[in-house]
Amino acid sequence: MSQVAAAGKGRHPAQRYIAIARIALQQTLAYRGTAVFTVLILFLWIGILFSFWGSAYEGRERIAGYSLDEMRTYILLAYAINALVGWRVGSGMMARIRTGEIVIDMIRPLNYRTTQLAIAVGNGIVEGFISFGIAIGLGLLFFDIEPPESSLVSMVFIISVLLGFVTKVLVIFLISLLTFWTLQGVGLMWAQQSVIAILSGTLVPLALLPGWLRVITEILPLRGIVATPVSIYLGGTSGLAMLGFLGLQVGWLALLWWFTDKAWIRAFRAVEIQGG
Amino acid sequence: MPADRHAPSRPSIGLLIRFYVRLQLLQLRTAIEYNTDFWIGIVGSALMHVSGLVFISALFSQIPEVEGWTVWEIALLYALALIPKGVTELLCDGPWALRALVNSGEFDRLLVRPLPPSLQTATRIASLHGLGQLGLGIVVFSMASSRVELDWTIWKALFLAMILTSSAIMIGAINFLVNMIAFWEPSAQSAIPTLFSTMIDFAKFPLDIYNVLIRGLITVVIPYAFITYFPALVLLDKDSSMKWLGYCSPLATAIVVAVTSFLWRIGINRYQGVGH
Repeated sequence: MSQVAAAGKGRHPAQRYIAIARIALQQTLAYRGTAVFTVLILFLWIGILFSFWGSAYEGRERIAGYSLDEMRTYILLAYAINALVGWRVGSGMMARIRTGEIVIDMIRPLNYRTTQLAIAVGNGIVEGFISFGIAIGLGLLFFDIEPPESSLVSMVFIISVLLGFVTKVLVIFLISLLTFWTLQGVGLMWAQQSVIAILSGTLVPLALLPGWLRVITEILPLRGIVATPVSIYLGGTSGLAMLGFLGLQVGWLALLWWFTDKAWIRAFRAVEIQGG
Repeated sequence: MPADRHAPSRPSIGLLIRFYVRLQLLQLRTAIEYNTDFWIGIVGSALMHVSGLVFISALFSQIPEVEGWTVWEIALLYALALIPKGVTELLCDGPWALRALVNSGEFDRLLVRPLPPSLQTATRIASLHGLGQLGLGIVVFSMASSRVELDWTIWKALFLAMILTSSAIMIGAINFLVNMIAFWEPSAQSAIPTLFSTMIDFAKFPLDIYNVLIRGLITVVIPYAFITYFPALVLLDKDSSMKWLGYCSPLATAIVVAVTSFLWRIGINRYQGVGH
C-alpha cells in the first residue's frame, strides 16, 4: 500500500503513523460513494429496529426501563458508533495476508498493529462523519433526539467512544491475524461482525439479552465498544460509575494493546514457517 | 440434405439443464477442495444470520407478541428467507462475479462460447457457505413449526415445496438483476448490489410492523415479501386480507424472471468490452 511508503518521511515515529492515517483518509474520501453505501447497508437495520420497537411499544410506556425515545436514541447512537470501524479495516488486512502482499508490510520498520490502527483512524474519520451525520439526521426527522444532560456527560461520552473505537480496531486486528493460519477471511469477517453486533450491545441493549449471554458480555471487553458509551450518553450514571466504566475500558485497552503487539510478531513468524 | 444444417441451432432445454448441472457440480467440487474455507465459511455464514434471531428472542423476552405475531411465528417467517437464500448461494451465486467479468473484459469470452452467457454467468461461482444459511434455516424452521399451531396437510406440504422453489428462483433472478447494474455503471467496486440484496432483511419480519414506504419497497419494488410474509400467512392460517397473495408468489417470481431476462438482453447489448 502506498500509505506506508509515504510515511517514511516523518522524523518522529508518531509522524509516520499520522501520515498513514492521512493517506487512508484521502483514500476513503476518493471512494466516498462506496463509503456512503456501506454505511447505508448497516443502517438498513435501523429501519427494521425502529419499526419493530415502534410496534412493540404500542400500549407500553417502558420496556426494560427504556422509553421509546430512549430506545430510538440508543439504536441510532449504537449503529453510528459501531459504523466507525467498518468492513474495510479487517478485510484489507485479510486480503493482503491471503495474497502474500503482507511480505511488504513485514519488512517495514513500523509497528504493524499501530499501522493498522492509523489506517482505521483515517477511514473512521470519514465514515464517522457519514454515519453520525445520517444518525443525527434520522434522529431529528423521526423524533427530537436529545443531547446529553450536561457538558461533562458529553465529554465523558466522547472519551468513551474513542476508547471503544480503539478497542474495536484491536479486536478486529486480532481476528484478522487468524488469517495467517486459516488463510480464509470472509467467513471470519461475517462471524466477527455478527458477534460484535450482539455482544457489544449494538443490536439490542445488553439488559435484554438472556442471562447466560449477559454473563459473557460482562466478562468480554466488547461492551466497551458500544454499550458503555451509549449508556453514559443516556444519563442516569453517577460520576463514580462513569469513572468505573472508563477505568474498565482503559484496563481492557491496555491489555489488548500489549497482547496485539505480541500477537502480530507471533503471526509474522507463522508466515516464515509457511512461506519457506 | 436438410437446408439448415449449418445454421447455428439453439441447444434444447434438456441439454442446457445438463450443462448447468455439470458446470455447477464442477464449481462445488472445486470449492470443497479447500477444507478450512469450507468450515469457516459455513460457521461464519450461520453466525451472521443468528444475530437477527438473537434480536427477536431479546425483544420477545419482554413482550408476548407484536402485531399478533408470536416469537416462533416470526422465527418460521425468518426461516422462509434463510432456506431459499442458502439454496441460491449454492446453486446460483455466479452473478456476483459479473462486475469483475465486465470490468476485466473477460465477459468477451462468455459471449463467444456456444452456451447462453446467462448460464455461464450463473455457474461462475458456487458459494459453499450457503450450507450454513440453509442448515440454520432448516433447524429454525423445524423448531418453529413444532411450536406454532401448524396443521400439516398434504396441500400445505406441497405449498411449502412450491414456495421454497419459487423463492429460490426469485432470489437467483434478483442476483442477476442487482448485479446487472455493472453494464450501466461499470466502476470496479460498488455497494449498490449488496444494498439491494440486503433488503431481504426487511422481509425477515412481518410486514405489519412497517410503514407504507417499506411495505411498498419489499412488495412492489423488490418483492421479497412474496418469499416470506405472504406465504407465511397461508402456512400459519393467519386471519388476513392479504393471504391470497401467498398463492401469487410463483406469479411474482415469473414477473421478476421476465423483467430480469428482458433487462439482461439490453444489458449484454450495451456491453462493449474493454478493447482487447
